[in-house]
Amino acid sequence: MSDYLHIKDIHKDFSGLQVLTGVDFKVVEKERHAVIGPNGAGKTTLFNIISGKFKASSGAILFKGEDLSGKPPHMLNRYGLSRSFQITNVFSELSVFENILTGVRSRYGLRYNFFKRPDHNKDFREKTEAIIEEVGLKDVGDLPASALSYGQQRALEIGITLSTEPELILLDEPTAGMTREETGQAISLIDRVTADRTLIIIEHDMDVVFSLADTISVLHYGKILASDTPDEIRNDQRVKDAYLGEE
Amino acid sequence: MKLKTNSYIVIIVLFLLGAVMPLVLRRYNLFMLTEIIIFALYAVSYNLLLGYAGLLSFGHAMFFGLGAFVAAVSIIHIPGLTLLSAVIISLVITTITGFLIGGLLLRHKGAYFALLTMAFNALFYAVATKWHSVTGGDDGLSISRPEMDLGFASLSVSSVSSFYYLILIVVGASIVFCWYFTHTAMGKTVLLMRENEERMKFLGYNTNISRLILFTFTGAIAGLAGAFYTLHFQFVSISAISIDMTTAVLLMVFVGGTRTFWGPILGAFVYIIFQNYLSDITDRWPLFMGLIFVFMVLYVPGGLSQTIVSIRQWFSGRTGTQDNGPAKAEET
Amino acid sequence: MNEIAVFFLHGLAYAGLLFLVSAGLTLVFGMMNVLNFAHAAMYMLGAYFSYSIMLRMSGQIWLSLIVCPIALFIIGALIERFLLRKVHANGHVAELLLTFGLAYIITELVKWYWGNYPLAVNVTGFLNGTVQIMGITYPIYRIFIFLCAIFVGLLMAFILYKTRLGIILRAAVNDSETVNTLGVNVPLVFMGVFAFGAALSGFAGVIAGPLLSTFPGMAHDILLDAFVVIVVGGFGSLGGAVVASLLIGELQSFGVLLFPKLSIALMYMLMAAVLIIKPSGLFGEEQ
Repeated sequence: MSDYLHIKDIHKDFSGLQVLTGVDFKVVEKERHAVIGPNGAGKTTLFNIISGKFKASSGAILFKGEDLSGKPPHMLNRYGLSRSFQITNVFSELSVFENILTGVRSRYGLRYNFFKRPDHNKDFREKTEAIIEEVGLKDVGDLPASALSYGQQRALEIGITLSTEPELILLDEPTAGMTREETGQAISLIDRVTADRTLIIIEHDMDVVFSLADTISVLHYGKILASDTPDEIRNDQRVKDAYLGEE
Repeated sequence: MKLKTNSYIVIIVLFLLGAVMPLVLRRYNLFMLTEIIIFALYAVSYNLLLGYAGLLSFGHAMFFGLGAFVAAVSIIHIPGLTLLSAVIISLVITTITGFLIGGLLLRHKGAYFALLTMAFNALFYAVATKWHSVTGGDDGLSISRPEMDLGFASLSVSSVSSFYYLILIVVGASIVFCWYFTHTAMGKTVLLMRENEERMKFLGYNTNISRLILFTFTGAIAGLAGAFYTLHFQFVSISAISIDMTTAVLLMVFVGGTRTFWGPILGAFVYIIFQNYLSDITDRWPLFMGLIFVFMVLYVPGGLSQTIVSIRQWFSGRTGTQDNGPAKAEET
Repeated sequence: MNEIAVFFLHGLAYAGLLFLVSAGLTLVFGMMNVLNFAHAAMYMLGAYFSYSIMLRMSGQIWLSLIVCPIALFIIGALIERFLLRKVHANGHVAELLLTFGLAYIITELVKWYWGNYPLAVNVTGFLNGTVQIMGITYPIYRIFIFLCAIFVGLLMAFILYKTRLGIILRAAVNDSETVNTLGVNVPLVFMGVFAFGAALSGFAGVIAGPLLSTFPGMAHDILLDAFVVIVVGGFGSLGGAVVASLLIGELQSFGVLLFPKLSIALMYMLMAAVLIIKPSGLFGEEQ
């Protein structure tokens, strides 16, 4: 029986600069896995490699036994992976509805059709409405994304990530730049929408990490320092040293 | 949803208006209107590239010219070829060419893509000029318009008004299809890619393939316009495949405005009329063209259609922002 | 044998001219990411200015070589400052269309003032002589063109790679915002680059006049050749422009000798081949 997701010995260098030097950890199906680490530890790079934005210099990403490393993002999406972006990355001139619909129709293969109108498909419309409701944007569904508040745009970001019905969700600092109150809402939103799915989350905010994660992996100087339950990580001396060393 | 019904009503009214034109217009003007409809299709195809996909090509005339020449050459060399078969041959060949050239050029973006398209247009022009035995070189090719074969009967389209009706129906329908296309899955995909290509990739869209499909499609439509251009004038010269023909479409689209679907149609209308009258009174037409370009770029980047939309919004008390999302072309 | 030498030297002379035109084009393209369609029109303007000056100087070219680049430098600076900069915020489509429109305007104004026919002016002085080279008697003027190109190429390389200005220029390409915060006036640098490109095109125009004669179609002819040089040599690469100019120059020259029917298409075939094998050009960096 192969692992659900195995990030295997990933190396990455940018023209000589070693950023990741053998990242290795496993993610169990339906768990919520947080990756934390001090600034400059390579979290974002790792995230971009898993989601297909960058190619790893070496190593493998084994998803249900199949190596996905080096596959372009649109292929990964079809394997059931979907990612969010730290800096809101939506279709800002289009309505919330159109934003979500784009993912929904992609999931069901209506991407390049010359004759069918996606907004005429009742099934797609209902699925889109359901996601909009799920992320709490029902009242602003017809507004262009650029007219939303910051918190709403972050919710839309998650909505788009969900729109292709992924089984593995990658969230890149979903609460970055939020107020305390917004963060609280975001946590409960993420908690709700990722039920029954596998989640990998990168996060700075330790409150978010410890209230969501089942497992935490600590990235330090391009390697995984520890990968364990939140309680174990909290008491891990190496992790404490790594974070203290930063200050 | 009300908007859509409105669009269909506008289309029907336009067709009805078009249908009575032969009763109203003099022969010369009807001839010009036929030309306008053909160029409107050419301009619409170009705007799908520029306005919807954000791809600036300086080589659209290679498809227009290719379509024009293929129609002429096949009518000359294949005896008894019907009008529609000639058009279909043009369509097939420009589609294949668009696919091959797109595959080669779309690896580049922005200004570099623009430069490459212009160089390839020049290549096509050079071939058309040199390949005298097929294209007639500088002399061009004269044809006589074949009959329409409807299966059960042959229809002569040799008169100005009968050919006008053919163009109104066939080319008009092609323009309507292009409009419909902007609402289809593919049309939306192209628009969304221009908005945010990275996100599209992460939502499972192969953006390279999408661009290639669109480039091929717009090339084929330009070829279709080119074929009808040949049939209209019953003559084709190398000017049809020259960079000036690209300039012409660029100007039509730019004057009309890239941000609405109907802008380029308006642009074709203004351009053809303007050119006809200006070239009667002055031989400095290219100078005016240059001045219009610079003026538009500096002061009216949205084109005439944008100005009209703004005026309409101003009159309706700025409430109607929804119906014509500028450039974002959600419902245009 | 003699024939080959003649065609080879012809090729070198045209390569020199091509380099002078495409170096300015690729510089502006590489630095500012503006494809200047008016570049060749400015080259033509240089040739026409020079024609008028040389008529009054009884065929001496030296004054033109100084005055025309300066005139074009000023014109280039004005275009950048008052037109190009205004549309910069609207993206590269607006920039391309602007230079495209300017090319038409300049060409038409030239036709208006100087007429729509070729004007020939013969260079006088020792440049009008011949020299014994590679076993043949060859016009000095064509060799002079090639030497000018070498001089300009070395000068540009020196400025770009050996001076502080060159460092700023190369940095401004990669990251104009950072350079801006370092206290360098980036808009001024861009204006200078654009004006310098215009001056180079004017210089090339002066030199081209006596070789190809001065006529309104000269802009269009060389623009496409220069485009092909940029594509073959590689995006914004000076070294690429050198090699590609030589390639295209010789290809044009021997093409006429070997495949007279195909001569125009040869250049484009080379371009297509490069695009298939190495899309970024011979010396271009992968984007």
